[in-house]
Amino acid sequence: MENRQTRYWISMIMLFLSLLMLVPFFLMLLTSFKTMGEVQSASFIFIPEHFQFSNYVDAMTRGDWVRYFYNSLVVTAITVGVSLIINSMAGYAFARLHFPGRDTLFIISLIAMMVPPQVTMIPLFIILKNFPLVGGNDLFGQGGMGWVNSYMGMILPYIAGAFGVFLFRQFFMNFPGSLDDAVAIDGLNKFQSFLKIYVPLGKPIFAVLAAFKATQTWNEYTWPLIITNNDTMKTVQLALTMFKDESTVIWTQLMAATTLTSLPLILVFLFAQRYFVEGIVTTGMKG
Amino acid sequence: MMKTEKRRYSPLNRDYIGYWMIAPFYLFLIVFVIFPILINIFFSFTNFNLRTVHFVGFQNYLRLFSDETFMVSMQNTFVYTFFTLVFTMALGLMAALMVNKKLIGLKFFRTSFYMPYITSMVAGAMIWLWMYDPSYGIFNQVLGFFGIQSRQWLYDANLAMGCIILMSIWKSLGYFMVIYLAGLQSIPAYLYEAATVDGASSFRQFCAITLPMLRPVTFFLFVTGIVNNFKVFEQVMILTNGGPMNATTTIVHQIYNRGFIEFQMGYAAALSIILLLIVSGITLFNFKYGNQGQDLDIG
Repeated sequence: MENRQTRYWISMIMLFLSLLMLVPFFLMLLTSFKTMGEVQSASFIFIPEHFQFSNYVDAMTRGDWVRYFYNSLVVTAITVGVSLIINSMAGYAFARLHFPGRDTLFIISLIAMMVPPQVTMIPLFIILKNFPLVGGNDLFGQGGMGWVNSYMGMILPYIAGAFGVFLFRQFFMNFPGSLDDAVAIDGLNKFQSFLKIYVPLGKPIFAVLAAFKATQTWNEYTWPLIITNNDTMKTVQLALTMFKDESTVIWTQLMAATTLTSLPLILVFLFAQRYFVEGIVTTGMKG
Repeated sequence: MMKTEKRRYSPLNRDYIGYWMIAPFYLFLIVFVIFPILINIFFSFTNFNLRTVHFVGFQNYLRLFSDETFMVSMQNTFVYTFFTLVFTMALGLMAALMVNKKLIGLKFFRTSFYMPYITSMVAGAMIWLWMYDPSYGIFNQVLGFFGIQSRQWLYDANLAMGCIILMSIWKSLGYFMVIYLAGLQSIPAYLYEAATVDGASSFRQFCAITLPMLRPVTFFLFVTGIVNNFKVFEQVMILTNGGPMNATTTIVHQIYNRGFIEFQMGYAAALSIILLLIVSGITLFNFKYGNQGQDLDIG
């Protein structure tokens, strides 16, 4: 079984399958460089005659794409930053500190994590729309639009996920209790110990959570669809669907826009693949 | 399930600072998760429509049983979940088994399989929308090449759900492969060595060692897979918007339509509670029978 020939054949099969998985991406790229004439020709021209960069220019001038990218970037960056801080602190407390009710509080957050986001969609919208004293609202949340069409409206629900807490807790629990004793002898209090000892130790998990949260936030479609209703607050995912909603879809431009919105994540993924894969494996096995 | 420390701590050693450290996280959890769930349960007993709220008792829940569209959406969601899950699990395991042999190019294989999983659902759906295009899409071009009559794909009520399932398999296959691969690599090598010494064939080894050792992983993927597939929405929204003739509408698509298109928030809340009940049922099943998956340790 383990001989060279079988291995050679398996490699060949896997190569074929991998390329099959990549076909949609090849198509996306190739279409984005074609002219509409080439797309509509009767024979399927696989490689475009001349690589047309004009599709990218045309696609990006249909709507304020600089603004959409900026929106996605702001929302993603703030979500990742705040999640890392809040989740690492909570994860540390659940893993290393002893206070009454600790485990009960942790289990409650685990249960909350399992609730499908669609269950909280409608109330979240109502809460954010009627949030007191923001977006023209009075003390009772009346009179304005609240946090609808704002970065806050998009970011706040993203931060509420318990997944990161779970991830940090798993990681911080792996250290021996003697570590805490040693730190205590050195005269550090629990919070200092978190900052000076556990944060440096947890670097890989910070990277894993950042990769996970960034993917999730950058790719989110449903929530921005609900909480925004004007053009200036659109994220790139929402802006992509603009091309589709017209009577005749200009495929070349749509594929150019799709390429550009996917590119940032794919590049980050290729360079930091370890952290993307590690995250799902760790949680997958211990969830 | 929960590992509690063996050491006993006197009240003097209580870390009250812990409350402060979980406070920010818990504040978010209460305001944006727990509180909304409670509100939603309340809404589901009202006829809330963004303007008025009247208590209507179980009317919404009685209504959904005679709501044909919702019943169709339940059926569609079941069909979608069943086929997507069966294929992703089977193909994911096969791919993981193949890659598990020390191959050259392992990294490339893993990357190409995982790439669709990283790509956003919107981007993925856009590409597939283009591939399914009845006039110029690659599927019809390929059929035409072999002289087969072209199909309407997403516009054909018999094919549309299949098209969505195919795209979803492509999207999540890499995730299943990576998890299975981690499971395979955690099986101790000495089991296989011992089996080889005993003269067990590869097939026998697969049935007697690999499959049983992978059972927790399979169980985990199965349960989370059901939960995740039940929430299918984005592909449907972009590829077909539930059509043709409700052939591809799903539970979440109905929640969205009722809530944010027709503004029947109370009714939509009731639908989402039904989804919550289904998902909770599956999750409870996991906790009851799935504890074998908890003690698998893969770093």
